[in-house]
Amino acid sequence: MRRLRLLIRNELKMVRTALPIHLIAILQPALMYSIMAGVLVHPTFDVNVTRPTNEVGQQLIEAMHEVGSPDGVPYINPVLRGEDDPIGAGVVTIEETDHQVRAVYHYGLIDSNIVKNLRNRLTAAALRLWNDSLDGRAVTIVEHPWLPQDPPYNLYFGMAMLPMTTFLAAALIGGFLTAQEFEFDTIIEYRLSPISPTLVFFARLIRLVLMSWLSASVLLIVVGLFNRVWPASIPAVALILLPIALIGGGIGLSAGLMLRSSLPAFVIGLGSAFGCWILGAAFGLPTGFSSAYEFVSRLVPNSYAVELLFPLYYDTTIADSLRSILALTIFSLAALGLAALAYRRRVLIQQE
Amino acid sequence: MESTQLAVRVDSVTRRFGELTAVNELSFAAHPGEIFGLLGPNGAGKTTAINLITGLLKRHGGAIQILGFDPQTQAREVRRRIGLVPQDTNVYADLNGVDNLLHHAALYCDDLADIEKRIEGMLRWMNLWERRADPVRTYSGGMKRRLALARALLHDPQVILFDEPTLGVDVQGKHVLWEHIKAQQAQGKTFIVSTNNMEEADTLCDRLVIIDHGKAIAMDSPERLKAALARDVVTLRTTPNIENPTSLFSGLGLQAATFPQPDQLRLEVTNAESIVGELVARTTAGHRLDAVRITRPTLDDVFLHHTGRALRE
Repeated sequence: MRRLRLLIRNELKMVRTALPIHLIAILQPALMYSIMAGVLVHPTFDVNVTRPTNEVGQQLIEAMHEVGSPDGVPYINPVLRGEDDPIGAGVVTIEETDHQVRAVYHYGLIDSNIVKNLRNRLTAAALRLWNDSLDGRAVTIVEHPWLPQDPPYNLYFGMAMLPMTTFLAAALIGGFLTAQEFEFDTIIEYRLSPISPTLVFFARLIRLVLMSWLSASVLLIVVGLFNRVWPASIPAVALILLPIALIGGGIGLSAGLMLRSSLPAFVIGLGSAFGCWILGAAFGLPTGFSSAYEFVSRLVPNSYAVELLFPLYYDTTIADSLRSILALTIFSLAALGLAALAYRRRVLIQQE
Repeated sequence: MESTQLAVRVDSVTRRFGELTAVNELSFAAHPGEIFGLLGPNGAGKTTAINLITGLLKRHGGAIQILGFDPQTQAREVRRRIGLVPQDTNVYADLNGVDNLLHHAALYCDDLADIEKRIEGMLRWMNLWERRADPVRTYSGGMKRRLALARALLHDPQVILFDEPTLGVDVQGKHVLWEHIKAQQAQGKTFIVSTNNMEEADTLCDRLVIIDHGKAIAMDSPERLKAALARDVVTLRTTPNIENPTSLFSGLGLQAATFPQPDQLRLEVTNAESIVGELVARTTAGHRLDAVRITRPTLDDVFLHHTGRALRE
């Protein structure tokens, strides 16, 4: 035990050998979340409207103000503009011809997503204003929440980032520092060590898990502060993220050992963490997208971690927990097996 | 000699890298408590030989035994008994001296009780205790080498392999390092030292093997290797220059005569002390003798004798 404690202590001191990498691994996801949640993922959209000259136009502006969003903040922020102002991101004009009043949306964008969002907002405002006159053909939107709680999307986005930040920290730190051992020739210390390599490997994994948990903790706090929602059990979150840390650590260690160069190992760590995040339920539950996406999402571990985290944040089970646990166990064993093989090849056996 | 009585036995060892044979049928043996040198120019195969002895590299032929254990098949037994100071000082530059040794202790020391005290003792002995809390990147080259030696000695190995001990170390640092190696030898440690520095080989090594192109070309103590050349060097500076030294000094045991510089005549003779009087007399009969110097052969001369090239080439 004394040796293991000393090995872990030494591993933790290694933070000093790559401080910027640790800062990136631990703080970058929380920073990224803050920027995206605070600026980008926000339901309120500015909608340009040409200053109305008739009563119907005024009513449309009022209807725009009345349309709400699930988390209470305004859905539309009408911005009044002059007739000759450039279209910019798009503009709604109130046009009256032959006693017919129409709201016309002009746009000149190539960003179909923004076009869609602006069009949806105009439709929502128009429905509010004119639905009564459509009689039996009216469209009414009624929300039937399927979750006991209906927190904002930002919470889901943050929750799905927890596996990503865990993966990222383990993969980046594991890959970069292991590759650095080759670059500085300190790997010789490990190659000639007479003690059990399992102990050395275990100590390094513990370090990576601790760093991953630290990174996830920072993000969990930021997500909690943003949304005022906290998971039902912090130890359960830690337990769910443990296999993700082992998977990220295994991939990072393998990259560092095989590539023996810190920059490529860094890129592999970054790429695999972001790849698994995007494919693994990053922006919504896989069932909400195409069947192809759902299939691919089953091939990355993050999806299963999100399924297990979901009940802790939303108080609702969305998948078979046993299947998710089994999948994460298999992924962990595969990643650790890969790292063990790479360690054996690069460190333990004599160079041919 | 029984291999168990030897600290290191290298027997006809060969190692190839593709087409290049880096170590070619190399053989030597080091006794316990001996400082044994591997002397040769850069690229001679010294570091490869050290890597083969440690077991870092697989050999393609021959046999190696460290205190009776084969590094290829009994790696763990060998690793317990050896310490390595590689050519590139591979310490953690961002950690301090104590942390570097603690890192090594966790990987190598059988007994971790009182490890802090042992580390303190080692750092004090190496005159590094005052700088123990400083990052190693702030150490001088000599301090880093001493730290690397302290690290290699921490787990009390019987055989220490030291690759280019004083590479990049200043003159003062060299002597300090040599003293530490000698002090460890006095405690019964065996050192295998690779070097291309003649002064280091001369000062430090009890015996050495001269390696060129991976092959052993001579092996003995530095004194005996030089004595085996059976010649001294006499350097003369005269006015005017001596035109025909072979005829002027005939009968004096002249082995060779060269002009390393236009005004300098270099004579190789069998025994300079016995003929120096006659040599001066014959010179001054027709020339003014400006300077005369008698030198013993160096290891460079030994290398030159065996390979036709200077060691520093």
